[in-house]
Amino acid sequence: MNAAQTERGQRLVTIPAERMVFVLSRLLALIVLVAGLSVLSPVFLTWPNVITVARQAALQFVMSAGLTIVVLAGGIDLSVGAVIGFAACVAATGIAAGSLTGGVLAGLGVGLACGVCTGMLVAYARIPAFIASYGMLWIAQGLGYILMQGNVIQGFPPALRFFGIGWVWGVPTLVVLAGALLAVLHVLLHYTVLGRSIYAIGGNVAAARLSGMPVRSRQVTLYALCGLLSGLAALVVIARVNSAEAGVGEDLLLPAIAAVCLGGTSLFGGVGGIVGTAVGSFILALSVNGMNLLGIDSLWQNAVLGGIILLSVFTDQLGGARLLRGS
Amino acid sequence: MNRKTICNLVLLAAALALALTLPWRSAIAKNDKELTIAMFVKNLSNPNFRAARIGADKAAKELGVKLEHVSPTKPDNIEEQTRLTEDWLVKKPDGFLFVPVDFKALIPTVQKAIDAGMPVAIYSNNMPDVKGVVTYVGSDDATIEYEVSKFLFKKMGGKGKIIHIDGNPAAITAQQRKAGFERALKEFPQVELLASQPGQYRRLPAVQVFENLMQRYPQIDAVVSANDDMAVGVVEALYAAGRGGKTLVVGVDVLPDAAELIKSGRMFASADYSLHDQAYIAMHALVKHIRGEQVPKQIILPVAIATQDNVDAWRMKMEDRKTPNWERVVAAQK
Repeated sequence: MNAAQTERGQRLVTIPAERMVFVLSRLLALIVLVAGLSVLSPVFLTWPNVITVARQAALQFVMSAGLTIVVLAGGIDLSVGAVIGFAACVAATGIAAGSLTGGVLAGLGVGLACGVCTGMLVAYARIPAFIASYGMLWIAQGLGYILMQGNVIQGFPPALRFFGIGWVWGVPTLVVLAGALLAVLHVLLHYTVLGRSIYAIGGNVAAARLSGMPVRSRQVTLYALCGLLSGLAALVVIARVNSAEAGVGEDLLLPAIAAVCLGGTSLFGGVGGIVGTAVGSFILALSVNGMNLLGIDSLWQNAVLGGIILLSVFTDQLGGARLLRGS
Repeated sequence: MNRKTICNLVLLAAALALALTLPWRSAIAKNDKELTIAMFVKNLSNPNFRAARIGADKAAKELGVKLEHVSPTKPDNIEEQTRLTEDWLVKKPDGFLFVPVDFKALIPTVQKAIDAGMPVAIYSNNMPDVKGVVTYVGSDDATIEYEVSKFLFKKMGGKGKIIHIDGNPAAITAQQRKAGFERALKEFPQVELLASQPGQYRRLPAVQVFENLMQRYPQIDAVVSANDDMAVGVVEALYAAGRGGKTLVVGVDVLPDAAELIKSGRMFASADYSLHDQAYIAMHALVKHIRGEQVPKQIILPVAIATQDNVDAWRMKMEDRKTPNWERVVAAQK
């Protein structure tokens, strides 16, 4: 065994332990939040409210899933919100023109195309991911404005709306969809060559390259996947709110990043996982739900949310670091 | 002299010649009957500002002036609008039709333009601290939500349980609208406010916030929303939860999708905050001022409330929408 192989081997051994710690500490934060809220609000732990939170968390998860993969590989995609907005506009335009299938495919296609562009800029043009995706943010937003010209497209067919507000076996379709996505991405990340290379690139890109991994083409694949998932998120968003306008993606980037961080995925790459993001999405949805139920003043809500994010990641740092040192 | 020097001299002479013709060229521009007005909007994404552009375009056509549209690419971006205003001041159009993305932050920039001799008419958001504005045309945010809330409370017989969905807490419009709502609430002591929570003026947050509130409150008689984008989201959430038809929902703006819901009876009413009319009237005032006529310093447009009976007037295309009558609007100011 040469040095690179040894290093890789060790990484693969240590990853599951780290992951367990992070996921467990995240779950603990979630449980504390749930316990606190159910004491404070009598309606909190009722089935309808649980369903409401689950649906909101599911939407957040779909919007953060692609970003998680890119972040795991040590990258960042600041264009997720803007691409969701642009893809939503394209899909809505197609559907309004009369073709549901055409609109859906166009939305997914636009997301994919944006992702491929960002990926190429990062991998081949060697533009730092922060800048490349920031540029893509503006381009996608601008194209959305050009396409919509200040118009709003309203009213989508029931087949699409089913994914936003429908039910399957007493569970919102959106939750089922998010659950399926979670399963697929978890398998992809942990049981495929591509998934392992994501952790390897995120952990140490030089080592990954030296060990013969096609780093550049993998990076393009990851950003493309992120773009495709943004396209999917766009469809879910318009299915849920039944309308599309150029500004729809503007407020989505920061919550997407927050869900990834809350899920314990390191912004430096290589550490974390998709299950964490699901938990992070739940924490985010729960916080907003809790503030609404408790009737916290509008002016305070952003500050409280920021505090919850910091506190949660901070306890994670303390607990995670100590446990790792102990093991 | 080598070739390079000659080349430079020729260029210099050409530049001088061009410079000498400048006074003559600007004289031509002044004498030319066609005025150019630069019209500012806050963003390109909000349908209200699309309506404003269309309203101003109609006025420009009637008045025979050229209209240039200016907008920040980042919606409601203070820094960018400041820069755009400075750039356009250098270009020297004959007037600015202006709306500040922030009524405080833009004060120095707009004051500079006015001090430099630029006629400025402001629509939608007043800038009371700027001196020398040609006119302000608007309908104030507090009044509009006051009127629509009062209209709703009367319909409810003066009692019931209601929820208020705020706009973006950072926006002055949201604070004023909420103040108007609270004024109406005081006049109806039997109307009980269950909660007032933020929907950020956008549909998705409003849907989610309202879903959460529905869990806590099994009976909600009415919802007052600070704009229609959120009001439509509330109606969507009500019907998705199987609670449609029991709650009266009102908003502000009479956006096209809200107009459709009002027509179908799913939404109760909306108050018109017509930027189409505001921009049209402001454009008239500005051009009339430049052409030497007297115009009122402030023009407040009346609040119109759209309900199922009269909503058809709002359901036609913005391009076909009737424009207000200048003389009648001015006469109503006294």
